[in-house]
Amino acid sequence: MLSMLAQIPFDAILILLPLGAGMLSFLWPVIARALGLLTTVAVLMSVIGLGWQIQQSGSHIHLLGGWSAPLGIQLYADGLSLLMLAATAIVGFAVSIYATRYFSRRHDEVRFWPVWLLLLGALNALFLAADIFNLYVTLELLGLAAVALTALTGSRQALVGAMRYLFATLLGSLCYLLGVALLYQTYGTVDIALLGELLESSPGVWAALGLITTGLVLKTALFPFHFWLPPAHASAPAPVSAVLSALVVKASFYILLRLWLTLFNPTDDSINNLLGLLGATAVLWGSIQAFRQTRLKLLIAYSTVAQIGYLFLAFPLAAASGGLAWNAVAYLALSHALAKAAMFLTAGNLIHFDGHDRIADLDRVVQRLPVTAWAFALAGVSIMGLPPSGGFIGKWLLLEAALKQGNWGIVTVLVVGGLLAAAYIFKVLGNTFTEALHHHESSTSVPARMEWTAFGLALGAIILGFTATPVLEIINLGSPFSAREISP
Amino acid sequence: MSPQLIYPLIGAGLFSLGLYGLIVHSHLLRKILAINIMGSGVFLILVALAKRSGEMPDPVPHAMVITGIVVAVSATALALAMMLKLHTETGRTDLPDDQQT
Amino acid sequence: MEISLLSTIFDVLLGLSLLGLAWSALATTDLFKAVLLFIAFGLLMALVWVRLNAPDVALAEAAIGAGITGALMLSALARLNSPHTGRAIASHTTDPEKDPSIQWWPFISLVLVFIGLAYSVFTFSPAFMGLQPDVYSQLVNSGVENPVTAVLLNFRGYDTLLEMLVLFVALLGVWSLGENPAVKTPFISPVLDTLSRLLTPVFILVAAYILWVGAHAPGGAFQAGSILGAAGILLLLSGWQLRKDTSSLFFRVLLLAGPLAFVALAAITLLIQGQLLEYPPAQAGLLILILETFATLSIGVTLAALFLGGFPWSKNRALK
Repeated sequence: MLSMLAQIPFDAILILLPLGAGMLSFLWPVIARALGLLTTVAVLMSVIGLGWQIQQSGSHIHLLGGWSAPLGIQLYADGLSLLMLAATAIVGFAVSIYATRYFSRRHDEVRFWPVWLLLLGALNALFLAADIFNLYVTLELLGLAAVALTALTGSRQALVGAMRYLFATLLGSLCYLLGVALLYQTYGTVDIALLGELLESSPGVWAALGLITTGLVLKTALFPFHFWLPPAHASAPAPVSAVLSALVVKASFYILLRLWLTLFNPTDDSINNLLGLLGATAVLWGSIQAFRQTRLKLLIAYSTVAQIGYLFLAFPLAAASGGLAWNAVAYLALSHALAKAAMFLTAGNLIHFDGHDRIADLDRVVQRLPVTAWAFALAGVSIMGLPPSGGFIGKWLLLEAALKQGNWGIVTVLVVGGLLAAAYIFKVLGNTFTEALHHHESSTSVPARMEWTAFGLALGAIILGFTATPVLEIINLGSPFSAREISP
Repeated sequence: MSPQLIYPLIGAGLFSLGLYGLIVHSHLLRKILAINIMGSGVFLILVALAKRSGEMPDPVPHAMVITGIVVAVSATALALAMMLKLHTETGRTDLPDDQQT
Repeated sequence: MEISLLSTIFDVLLGLSLLGLAWSALATTDLFKAVLLFIAFGLLMALVWVRLNAPDVALAEAAIGAGITGALMLSALARLNSPHTGRAIASHTTDPEKDPSIQWWPFISLVLVFIGLAYSVFTFSPAFMGLQPDVYSQLVNSGVENPVTAVLLNFRGYDTLLEMLVLFVALLGVWSLGENPAVKTPFISPVLDTLSRLLTPVFILVAAYILWVGAHAPGGAFQAGSILGAAGILLLLSGWQLRKDTSSLFFRVLLLAGPLAFVALAAITLLIQGQLLEYPPAQAGLLILILETFATLSIGVTLAALFLGGFPWSKNRALK
């Protein structure tokens, strides 16, 4: 039985299943909802299966078409891919349940499921890819699907946000593709592992590094390329915002991390410090802007800008920290995925309830929607980095790495960032947990599953605060963080 | 300058030109044109450098560029449709610059 | 010596014209002219592909890059200007943005980017083979003789599967933006009417030929599919009204025929061979032909649907 389990190609299933389900839900819209739910359950189970396989036999390779690189394309799964796949599966599952109730009009629902399932497939394909051109195609599939979902409501803000998003993502992809072109024409392969062995410092490689980094950083919305994110994430429907902030934005970051570790890893500190500086600016700027918002979804979107900054703080620390900084990044990415998705879902609940998301008018929510209010509170704990939560573990690891290296700049940023996050989180909580001046009578009740999925995700972010050791062990399967070095 | 460097340089030029057009123009259709020209620049670099291997060019970049062309037309179609919808809704063909950054 | 100097001069002129067309397309304030210049740019690009020994790419560029993209842009421009009458091009095609002078910061970054790229281009070694030897050595096992088709449909078939879904997602995105506004077709000139009746069968034949020949000569599914798409666009332009049941299952299956075939084949090969998309060498040629046929259909229908714009109107709204 167990040996049979080891034979099942979970990685291929993770890709084919959502893509196939997306197509089928287009052909037969009647079964779209059920098919979508089933698919996310199957994806969840396949991730567990794949995790088990990796644990048994190390990192996993799949030769597509039976051709090995450099001629063919390979799939690759190790601890880091597993982490991202798990985040995708969990958030995807919760969002799908949420979406079965969120899209009340048949009209919207039928347009949501096929694109959503294809997006899910694109994410899985991206996290399992081992080929930089293949990554380009998955990035485009992901990007177009995300833009299509952002514009789903057809409202003016959604269209503007989606249009800006489209241009940002296309520009990012083109820069990335040019980098890929330069690398291929230098080394004759687009396979990441092979390139990692062949790469040497040269002007072409540096140009490729610059282009790929710029493209991916644009898609990850790192300051100063973050301009497209708040309008897009805030004006999308709530479940879509959750997926965008939690997963899509992390996908390009994952690629950057992977390429940094396996291909580039420049020991020249200037690039690492630049990324760290931009990250620090993002943390501070994003948090301040979040505090200034009057609408909840925009606040949450700016919070994403800030949280992405944290991910980049690891770059200056990574060389000397022996994997500690990267572990922190992985943990932060996972916790943020759960917490931010929970936040956007709660925002969706509030909008469903009262028709608006003005922070000042979020009164007595704790009495009328206790589950939702607590979901936001728990998610906020993780975003602030308070114990016990996944966010706390991630920030703690980062702090530890910074202290060990005496990098007081980063320590300051971490502390100040935490304080600012507390400011904007409590701004919201302060309004939801108090009595208001006016009575808002007309409200629509929020379906239970919408409240509980938000709560479940937030709880997940808290639970991550207790599971540091096993999760870190899983992340390091296949030793993704042992980097090779090139020097300028 | 050896002849086989002409086209890669032209490709670099197209990429830069397209980038300039994308940043500078505010009309959405012209932004879309600019993106397409940037894409053509990248494709030109890919295929032009593929010809170095003598009589039979390296077919892998050709396949990549065909993939790229299909992706480009998909993105262009979506962008054009969104531009039209935006025009119907707002009467404008550019993105408002009132977003806070 | 003479000939190589001539060919160098030819290449330089061709390259500079390409840059010149691109620059004019971006610089002109008349949008209609800009789109036309872009189409010309695409056609000149196709010529450059031929010059670079890339006939498959040339076919794809001419059909998709210049043809379909140009048609999409012209159609969009027309709808921008006169959404109700469907009149071809009105006079308001000028971009109101009037500042013709060069903006300095973007210009400086343009120059920097160009210098950086140019410098790295110079460092490429001239005797580089890339994956050409690998492809040609395995070509005999791929089932086809055209190396580009082998790469697209066999060696890197997974990329093609994803790419077809990119095309489909774009259509889904366009459809989710709303219904196709009823474009009243004006008086259709008898010339257009007759021409489309005559040309459509020719288009279909040419598409079928290019599909078939793609196995051993330049051609293939994408090129053939775009010719079918062009036929569809021609029919739409000449007033062919989609029948009301085109949002039916049949139409949807046609749209997805290509990706469905790919995913089905991927699943089957996964079960039988253990690796996704691993074709048994003996049947590889046949499998590729089947995949390409379905892909051609899908690409053609999808491109025509993209031209149409909004969701095809259906009498049964619930189906939407």
